[in-house]
Amino acid sequence: MLLELRGIRKRFGGIEALRNGNLAVQGAEVHALVGENGAGKSTMARIIAGMVAPDGGEFLWRGRPVRFPRPADAAAQGIAMVHQESLLAPHLSVAENIFLGREPRLPLGWIDRRRLYQAAARLIEEHRFPLQPDWRVERLNPAGRQLVEICRAIQHGSSLLIFDEPTSALSEAETVEVFRIVRQLRERGMGVLYITHRLEELRAIGDRITVLRDGETVFSGPLAEVGTEQIIRHMVGRELAAIYERKAQTPGEELLRVERLTRRPALDSVSFSVRAGEIVGVAGLVGAGRTELLRAIFGLDPVESGRVWVAGREARIRHPRDALRAGLALIPEDRQRSGLAIRLPLAWNLTLAALPQLSRWGFLLAERERQVCEEFTQRLRIRAGSLRQPVGRLSGGTQQKVVIAKWLLARARVFLFDEPTRGIDVGAKIEVFQLMDELARNGAAVLMVSSELPEIVQVADRILVMRQGRITAELPRGASQEEIMRFATLHTQTALRGNREAPTEEETP
Amino acid sequence: MIQRLLPLATLATLFIALSLASPYFLTYTNLTSVVRQTAVINVMALGMTLIIIAGGIDLSVGAVMAFSGLLGTMALEAGWPIPAGVALALACGLGWGLANGLLITQLKINPFIVTLGTLGIARGVTLIISDGLPVHRIPKEFSFIGEGNLLGVPFVLWILVFCAVLTHVLLEHTRMGRYAFAIGSNPEAAWYTGIPVAFHTTAVYAYSGLLCGLAGMIEASRLMTGQPTAGQGYELQVIAAVVIGGGSLRGGEGSVAGTLVGAFIMGLLANGSDLLGISPYLQQAIIGGVIILAVAVDEVRKRRFT
Repeated sequence: MLLELRGIRKRFGGIEALRNGNLAVQGAEVHALVGENGAGKSTMARIIAGMVAPDGGEFLWRGRPVRFPRPADAAAQGIAMVHQESLLAPHLSVAENIFLGREPRLPLGWIDRRRLYQAAARLIEEHRFPLQPDWRVERLNPAGRQLVEICRAIQHGSSLLIFDEPTSALSEAETVEVFRIVRQLRERGMGVLYITHRLEELRAIGDRITVLRDGETVFSGPLAEVGTEQIIRHMVGRELAAIYERKAQTPGEELLRVERLTRRPALDSVSFSVRAGEIVGVAGLVGAGRTELLRAIFGLDPVESGRVWVAGREARIRHPRDALRAGLALIPEDRQRSGLAIRLPLAWNLTLAALPQLSRWGFLLAERERQVCEEFTQRLRIRAGSLRQPVGRLSGGTQQKVVIAKWLLARARVFLFDEPTRGIDVGAKIEVFQLMDELARNGAAVLMVSSELPEIVQVADRILVMRQGRITAELPRGASQEEIMRFATLHTQTALRGNREAPTEEETP
Repeated sequence: MIQRLLPLATLATLFIALSLASPYFLTYTNLTSVVRQTAVINVMALGMTLIIIAGGIDLSVGAVMAFSGLLGTMALEAGWPIPAGVALALACGLGWGLANGLLITQLKINPFIVTLGTLGIARGVTLIISDGLPVHRIPKEFSFIGEGNLLGVPFVLWILVFCAVLTHVLLEHTRMGRYAFAIGSNPEAAWYTGIPVAFHTTAVYAYSGLLCGLAGMIEASRLMTGQPTAGQGYELQVIAAVVIGGGSLRGGEGSVAGTLVGAFIMGLLANGSDLLGISPYLQQAIIGGVIILAVAVDEVRKRRFT
């Protein structure tokens, strides 16, 4: 056995990324590591590559317990990683990137450029890669860059190669090329750990599979012995800790209507509508275009074509300001980065979008500002020591409520939620759902993007499933997670025909 | 809260220490001269406070001040009435401020680079217009701005108080001030919230430019010349005043009161060194040390609390 992990644990702040991670990889096999977004795949990979230290558990390399305090220690043992996001220096050549930090030297520390290029040429020749040593990396397409990453990883004789979502940025033709290389590496006796959430790829390449769910290894075995449905069940089949019941109600007038919204390659002719009192969930995998959909509606990214109506009126939204005026609200995934000014007081964050209504001739109406702040902190049960407390000190759930309150104060009627429960604990999650429910019952329209399938199934009245920039299914309340997952992962006829020309920008997990 | 008061406590300590160390310190003549000397830096630091709160920086303040002072005094030399000359200087400052703001927001260039560029351009144009020569023939009454007294108090102090109150109100009681804090604290969140970020950023630079124009006329009045080389290196003193007073170059933090305290701390350090016969060379080193100390204390405080 090349690599063995037993009971690995890792916490990041309040979030337990891995609870019981088990994995065994042999030489000359391609081992697939799968799981939903946030299941702990990347954390496990980063532990193996020495980028983060585990909090506990056993880590065996060639049968002996080891610790890798730094990535260089893992590299010295023959473990290499091809990263999800390119870590190449775009202005340097292919050869320079392959040997970055390990350049052949001449006396006085000069780099031996001739040997550098010869070595690179030999490596490329040996694997029959479609590269030239003197090409500049910035000119390469994503697949080309990945080949350079692979060269860099195998250049000093690694025995375990980790791929973190290698094909998420590649077209189908490029994917085929990367697969050919992965098989080649396996034939040379290397172990390959292949992380993905694209199930249809696995059959083409994997020998064995390990499934992670909520930081725990729930299945491990030969790929030939499990069906795809079974894998999906392993990925999503969690018992819900949070019991949340929502009473569906008859929806009112149409508040948001999107027609043929297109921003290639992220969005391809997306149409749907949301009515007052409705919560519509958007499911899909990372990179399916869900966040891009919200951003495009809200005027954060320019769109190529498509129209948006808010409450029956066509809204031309080119700037978040237009969205605000039209009555839209965006609750972004990363609150700290784009939702809140975390160093500013709670009160200032609450009223930031509503200042035009809280000022006269540009002067702030302090008393009214204080009043509405108190009203809304009570209404949304925002727990804080004082209105002057910086929001950064509040808990994740409370911060989420502050963002919602900000938009309520600005009289928004259509709420776009991007991963509303990310990074907040179970109790706060239920409160956020209650808030969404309250919004809907008070006549707002709610569109919710979430990677947490059980949450979408519980909360949403209708579910839109996205894959590769398109809506592949619209499912009613009561749809099963397996059904959603099938539309999100498998190639449908339309998805197959829509062969992408350029890579999508990946959401970072 | 204790840390908020730290600059003020430093100022008070410095004040008491200097009163004990030198018999000349606590005299009307000396104190008014401190006020007059620090007025120019103080006025410009008020504008810089707004810019730094909005997450920006302006290196061109000294050059803009010199440009405005020169054009203002040239107008006086040409026979314009004093208020008209001052108005011209204010307009010049405003123009440079607008230019800075527009370049930063429209071309999306880093403010450090933009204002480094306008520093050079403003200084160069000033030297070209004046041919490097100062303007001397200025009506005597003009000296009132910098050297006169009103009700027994230096006139510059009235100007300073007026500007400080104006800036304070702008910062704490208007939408523009609140947006400046929001933009400086988290520009992305400000944008997501629908704030017109470009407009308000430009406004902040324009306001600072206006104050630089005023400072140019104060300086010219004090020297009774329009000096094309005036204000060299003032940008660093101005930024230092804001930073000592609790402004953060990461944006979102700072106050008018803090900046005034910061500027007076530097003024007292300079005055005290003069009174105690410490060489001006050492003075510079002391002020440099104080800047680092002030920011270090602030950083340590923040790290402990977050």
